[in-house]
Amino acid sequence: MSERAYRQRLEADIERWHADGVISTTVADAIRGSLRPLPEAATVAVVVGIVGGLLIAAAFLAFIAANWMVIARPARFLILLAGIIGAYSIGAWFDRTERTVLADLSVAVGSIVFGAAIALTGQMYHLAADFAAGLLLWAGGALIAAVLTGSRGALAVALAAACVWNGMRVFETDDIHLPFVFFWLVAAGLALAWNAPVARHLVALAAVVWWVHTGLGATQRFFLFDPSFTVAAGASLMLGGGLALAIRAPESRRAFGMTLSHYGAFALAFALAWIVAGIFGAVPRRVPVWITWCGVAGAVLAFVAAAIERRVALALAGISIALALIVVSGVIRPSGANEPWAVYALALASMLCLVISGMLDDVRPRIVAGWVGLGLSIAAITWAVKGSLLHRAAFLAAAGIIAVALAILLGRLLRREAAR
Amino acid sequence: MTFFEKISNAIPRFLLYAIVALVQVALVVVMVVDRARILREGAEVTLQTRPIDPRDFLRGDYVVLNYDISSVAAGELKDRPASGRGTVVYVKLAPKGDGFHQAVSVHGEPVAIAPGEALIQGRVARGTECGATRRAFCDRLQINYGLERYFVPEGEGREIESARNQGKVSIVAAVTSGGRAAIKRLLLDGKPVYYEPTF
Repeated sequence: MSERAYRQRLEADIERWHADGVISTTVADAIRGSLRPLPEAATVAVVVGIVGGLLIAAAFLAFIAANWMVIARPARFLILLAGIIGAYSIGAWFDRTERTVLADLSVAVGSIVFGAAIALTGQMYHLAADFAAGLLLWAGGALIAAVLTGSRGALAVALAAACVWNGMRVFETDDIHLPFVFFWLVAAGLALAWNAPVARHLVALAAVVWWVHTGLGATQRFFLFDPSFTVAAGASLMLGGGLALAIRAPESRRAFGMTLSHYGAFALAFALAWIVAGIFGAVPRRVPVWITWCGVAGAVLAFVAAAIERRVALALAGISIALALIVVSGVIRPSGANEPWAVYALALASMLCLVISGMLDDVRPRIVAGWVGLGLSIAAITWAVKGSLLHRAAFLAAAGIIAVALAILLGRLLRREAAR
Repeated sequence: MTFFEKISNAIPRFLLYAIVALVQVALVVVMVVDRARILREGAEVTLQTRPIDPRDFLRGDYVVLNYDISSVAAGELKDRPASGRGTVVYVKLAPKGDGFHQAVSVHGEPVAIAPGEALIQGRVARGTECGATRRAFCDRLQINYGLERYFVPEGEGREIESARNQGKVSIVAAVTSGGRAAIKRLLLDGKPVYYEPTF
């Protein structure tokens, strides 16, 4: 829940409690007074201003490009540098007048102009040697801007450029590209230090992108057919590691860990459904050991968190990860022409565990991820192009009956528990 | 207050913005200065361009240049382990009788060169996917030297590409002792049509 939505709900509750006589006016005022002031919100005027700022930045760049041969090259170069300095000067002015959203925007625009300056300088001076290196330069400059000014926009620019840099290196070398991890760790440090939702989401999303790139790199480097195992292993680490980070931690680390776990849960659901769909046919067996260990570490961390906190929800998340890893690792294979019923059953069980884990913890993203995984897995089983449709119908019916029986049993147990 | 916030608060905010601007400006300036150093200090080599697939060569306002030295025999590198596409190699160039430079040999490390020769650094675009592990050099290598794009004024690209496909375009590149290269002049029928000033 966002801070603003929480405040609205709290205010409604305070008014209701006050009207019902649960709390006095003094207590209601004391609750209101104990709240921190809300951070500056993006009003309609600010949003329009943001659009205007971005349009001006684009117009600036188009102007430079359009007058390519009319303006002398040193003059063009100086205009680019002036664009960078101008953006940060405006940002500093907004910052001084405490218009933080606009200051953040200016730094983001400055970082974009910096990237454009790299590209246009490369064009002006025929520097076509290494495009990916140019992206790294851009990402590094934007990250410095984020570190020094606290701009979420600059962090977004930095991570976007770094993800493209990573993707290009993977494509160029047909291999896994580990240097991105160092860049990501710096960004993660910022997200922790800022305790800002936007930064947490950006960093978690970048981690998913890196694991997808790593999966694609691994397919080339290690002759794998399918990147799903690598993605699932990374997702497991994010889910389990995120849950472990979140236990008995200060607010910033807890929120960061939870965000990582949410993105990990969704990535795991998609990777699992991909395998169940059997898009690439055979499931790979040969993967680098460290990737396997990342997946195992995710499950272990979830179980360790469950043991420390004594929470069933975390243990169920660990079981979900473990079952998903068994599926994607390919250790269970159908004999002969049989369909992979055990794989289907484990995949469904894994996602069901994820849904229940989210329900017990009252964490909506984990619940949604589990439902997405269940839905995609059922769809994949139903519409798999191989084998007998009749057999799959029987399997789905049996799975449904087992689930209904489990639901009845759980319902009775919960009622008995409530009656005690 | 976190350590990060303490550090941030200890420095005036406008100074932080100024530092960011200066760092980014410095990074862009370094790009240009570095290229200027190559142009100033590098030995000149003349390279003949080749016709290439017409669907590929002009995107926007630059001409894609392919050279005789872009595709070379791997020689001693053949079957040796490579680190995939993008592996850095060094190509020894020597002048031919017609005034152009040609590739003499390819090496995994910088090697000594004789007077008149040049050693240019490149990255293998194709030719590192051979052998049982698909990680060894093939018998021929496609190499990029960072000289493959030349940005031209709007509308002038077609003329150059047409001339290039008739074998009339060549370039003069500056190559440093470390192997880094930059285009210095673009020649049409041996006459300079574009000259690159240092700045």
